[in-house]
Amino acid sequence: MDVSTLLQAQNDKFKSIEVDKEHEIDPGLLLVSDLNPIDAEAHEANLEDHLQSTARDGVQALLAALFSLPIHSSPDGPVAKLPAPTYELPRAKPLPKPKPQTKWERFASAKGIQHSVKDKKVWDEEKQDWVNRWGRYGKNKELEDQWLTEVPANADVDFDPAKDAKTKRKEVIAKNTKQRDANLARAQKAADPKESRKKEIESTLQSTRKSTASMGKFDKKLDGEKKIRGIKRKFEPAEVSAANERKSSLAILAGLEGSSAKKARRAEQDGQGASDVVNVRKAVKFASGGKGSHSLARSASTQKGKTSFKKGKR
Amino acid sequence: MRPLTEEETKTLFTKLANYIGKNLTQLIDRSDEDYCFRLHKDRVFYVSESAMRLAISVARPNLISLGTCFGKFSKTGKFKLHITALDYLAQYAKYKVWIKPNGEMPFLYGNHVVKAHLGRITEDTPEHQGVVVYNMSDIPLGFGVTARSTADTRKLDPTAILVFHQSDVGEYLRDEDTLF
Repeated sequence: MDVSTLLQAQNDKFKSIEVDKEHEIDPGLLLVSDLNPIDAEAHEANLEDHLQSTARDGVQALLAALFSLPIHSSPDGPVAKLPAPTYELPRAKPLPKPKPQTKWERFASAKGIQHSVKDKKVWDEEKQDWVNRWGRYGKNKELEDQWLTEVPANADVDFDPAKDAKTKRKEVIAKNTKQRDANLARAQKAADPKESRKKEIESTLQSTRKSTASMGKFDKKLDGEKKIRGIKRKFEPAEVSAANERKSSLAILAGLEGSSAKKARRAEQDGQGASDVVNVRKAVKFASGGKGSHSLARSASTQKGKTSFKKGKR
Repeated sequence: MRPLTEEETKTLFTKLANYIGKNLTQLIDRSDEDYCFRLHKDRVFYVSESAMRLAISVARPNLISLGTCFGKFSKTGKFKLHITALDYLAQYAKYKVWIKPNGEMPFLYGNHVVKAHLGRITEDTPEHQGVVVYNMSDIPLGFGVTARSTADTRKLDPTAILVFHQSDVGEYLRDEDTLF
């Protein structure tokens, strides 16, 4: 029996997997672009059919490309690794604006000074190890914990080398903070002077418009003058889910407790325990019969002595 | 009617925490039903979720009250507790003051609690602590703020003020027009 006719009949039921159009295919992104000109006749005759056949051709081409990739087997079945994408997707967000230069950066760029990154670690000859340049166990604190320090000849009587080193280090930190703040302030000021000036003028205009006896109500309106709008307050919707609300209010409560934790700790040291578990002062007062913790401790130690004495007597 | 903003919530909680301390979590995190705080015409209401959802459908000018009024925000953003909150404060109060029968009427007319009228006080009450005032048969009458800590009260003369009056149940009659 000749099965070839049967096979032929079976194959004829499905469309050919061959696609006779050129497509741009990027298997990495599973992307097909059909750059062929639209067949006007087919498009006019039946739009749906035309679109469907175009889409089918594209998908067929993509699948053919996928099946031509090298395939290896895995526990989940045969797997093909997609190549790296070649199509360049456009950027979703605009490019970040360049940061305003600091004073030093401006100077360095004018003088052509290259920036070199310092390592965070430096080699310590004594320890024979890499140590932090600053921070925890930093090299910059080295002078502060020496057991012996050379005192300069003209030093004061109460010269403390460790303290001196520490104040010097703190001064450097303070100077850096000051310079950083100045840089931030400068950057703030330099942020588009034109725009800030415009805002300033607008706010001045707004305040003058309502600076009349009727607060601007009966003033002559100019053409195209806009209504003054205040700040619009925005609140949570009233029908927010109660579970969410409870969570947020518990978070606020935790924040409040955090801020008052210091106060509570002090109160606890006084014995007025905010911790609700044991009021230490009250407990001590009760146990000692109002005589205080010292007498309690003393009586406890004498009690011990007494018991041992009794034992000896027996 | 709207939920409180974060700032308003903070103000409210600090005020309540002065009276009920950490028990405040019991008000927020209830086992029976979810309760929430809602602001309506500057007043804060403590209301169950189901009642709140029913009240949503009432127009703002028509809504007079819902749940329990805890107090109101002043125009400067401070929070003032109302006597209607007494039920919850008395339930969870951390520090309490009991006054003798002869001191009940003066307190209910809006006077401060003097030492002569003091029956009992929670031990170790600090100064300027929010307290709930009870009569000797444990009926809450109002609340106030202590003028002195418990330790300091011993040496005072009988006319010295111990608790500054803040609110009492007499307000239900005295401030009937403005309270609700």
